[in-house]
Amino acid sequence: MSYALQTLWHDKARYAAGVGAVAFSAVLIVLQVGLLLGLFEITSVPVDHTSADLWVGSQDVKSVDLGVQIPINQHMPRLTEKKGLKGQPEVYLAMYANMTRPDGGMERCFVLGSSLDADAAGAPDVLSAELRAALTLPNSIVTDESELGRLHLKGPGDTAKISGVEVTLVGTVKGMKSLAAPWIMCSETTARKLLAGFVQPDHCTYLLARAESPQRAKEIVAELRSEYPEMSVYTTDEFSFSCRWYWLTRTKAGIAIGYAALLGLMVGAVITAQTLYSATMASAKEFATLLALGIPRRKIYGLVIAQSWWVGVFGVVASVPVVWLLAQAAGAGGAKVVLRWEVVGGAALVTIGTALFSGLFALRSVRKIEPISLLR
Amino acid sequence: MPARPPTPVLVAERLTKSFGDGASRRFALREVSLTLYSGQLALLMGPSGSGKSTLLAVLSGLLRPEGGSVFVQDDGQRYDLWKLSDSQMEKFRLRHTGFIFQGYNLFPALSAMQQLEIVLKWGTGLGDSAASTRADDMLNRLGMNAQKYKKPAQLSGGEKQRVAIGRALVKDPTFIFADEPTSALDWENGQRVIELLRSAAHARGASIFVVSHDERMRPFADVVYHLDDGHLSVEHNPVPLAVAGPSHPSEVAR
Repeated sequence: MSYALQTLWHDKARYAAGVGAVAFSAVLIVLQVGLLLGLFEITSVPVDHTSADLWVGSQDVKSVDLGVQIPINQHMPRLTEKKGLKGQPEVYLAMYANMTRPDGGMERCFVLGSSLDADAAGAPDVLSAELRAALTLPNSIVTDESELGRLHLKGPGDTAKISGVEVTLVGTVKGMKSLAAPWIMCSETTARKLLAGFVQPDHCTYLLARAESPQRAKEIVAELRSEYPEMSVYTTDEFSFSCRWYWLTRTKAGIAIGYAALLGLMVGAVITAQTLYSATMASAKEFATLLALGIPRRKIYGLVIAQSWWVGVFGVVASVPVVWLLAQAAGAGGAKVVLRWEVVGGAALVTIGTALFSGLFALRSVRKIEPISLLR
Repeated sequence: MPARPPTPVLVAERLTKSFGDGASRRFALREVSLTLYSGQLALLMGPSGSGKSTLLAVLSGLLRPEGGSVFVQDDGQRYDLWKLSDSQMEKFRLRHTGFIFQGYNLFPALSAMQQLEIVLKWGTGLGDSAASTRADDMLNRLGMNAQKYKKPAQLSGGEKQRVAIGRALVKDPTFIFADEPTSALDWENGQRVIELLRSAAHARGASIFVVSHDERMRPFADVVYHLDDGHLSVEHNPVPLAVAGPSHPSEVAR
């Protein structure tokens, strides 16, 4: 065992504060970024839950909830003339509407209307065959079960009004949580009724298609973009990322969370630096003896830096179960925390880096140590 | 190990050191001169506050004097210690000096072996196994075989001071400076410590400079200096300078 590690282990109580501070920073960063990713995953939920390969929408549309109507007759042939498509492109309606809840209150919702055929590209994959069948009934809707309370719906069979049209909830799904307005899934026919004021009968919000291969999908996107700059064309992955990126940058939420994480890092750095500083000062006489014996000061610097490294490593290790537990708790509370290895690894690097930086800060205590102090 | 020839020697000439300014200025050393020989235990006595520790610090390269010189005879070369650069001074201390302080100053987390190994590994760059062998050998000579894996909290005061002595001796220094090495010990342990230091001088040819106010140490010294109000006097110089071989049956450190 190295001297640094041995000292740390021997004086566990003293170093615990530093380890705790590093763990706190790591937990804060991972959870903040995890929540951020989870939060913004929500913005692309409708895109992620389709089996389409291509999305065509209005000019400059950056997020699925921002699409305006496009003329089907004009846009559809542009798509169908392309080789390498699988099946026929589909019409997809997606737009905000106002819901009148059973209790009379108003709620903003987002209507998603698509084909419900068994192999439909636009039908959300969370819909079971039974739900798809139930949605073919006029004015029937499905939403995520977590939205029921907000919409004052008790369960299947309950009714409400969207754009003045009475709709019946025929079932609920999981995995279609929304950020702002609940996603309301229905058939294209129902959607047309609910969005009659916003989408003309010969228009839709998006055209969806499948391609023979992911590579072909990319090629078609490139071709359509160059040929028709007045419409937006994306692969599904691109559109999903575009939705998240749009909300991440437009809302400045990323910046806010970044500040919170930075604050956590600073608190961690200060506590770690103070811990290392006081630990070093506590060993000042021993270090002074080594200096008197002619041991180079850099060896002692090395020891302090090694200690800061281990404080960082132990802090990160201690943060792992805490992050996991808090992520589970957040999930149970309805907030998704996405734990990606890039984020966890990045947070580990940043926090260990901060601990090392704190170690550098603590070196000033070593600079103060002089062997002559032992003779006074 | 055969006794070293009585070199290098250390010659201090007209050392002056004072503290404070103006009316409050107090001289710790007034034109102090002395010579240290290899194979000799020199004892410096004097009332508290007489400047004993100051003289030790100046001779060992820890405290710069205001006036005078400290010449070191090293492998046929003679140089003024206080004209060395910081890095040369560090090298001098690494190569030539061992220190024993009143407090043991042992790392609480490290075993007796490790307290010695750290000096060898960090100071002389010895590898793990060589450092371990030397540390083990030294602790055996100090009668600490049974305690070598113990940490300071598990050792008595006398045992801790023996580890501190081992730490000072393990790199085989030319000079050993000891500041009140027995003041925290009962006489039985104190006697053992001074015997160890004496044998280190006589058998290893090291030059030992001990600062103490303990009168019971006088019989163990080859030369006794007395410092009072910054003035140094030689009180007692009972034996010839270079003594080959152990002079006391209880000597355990060669």
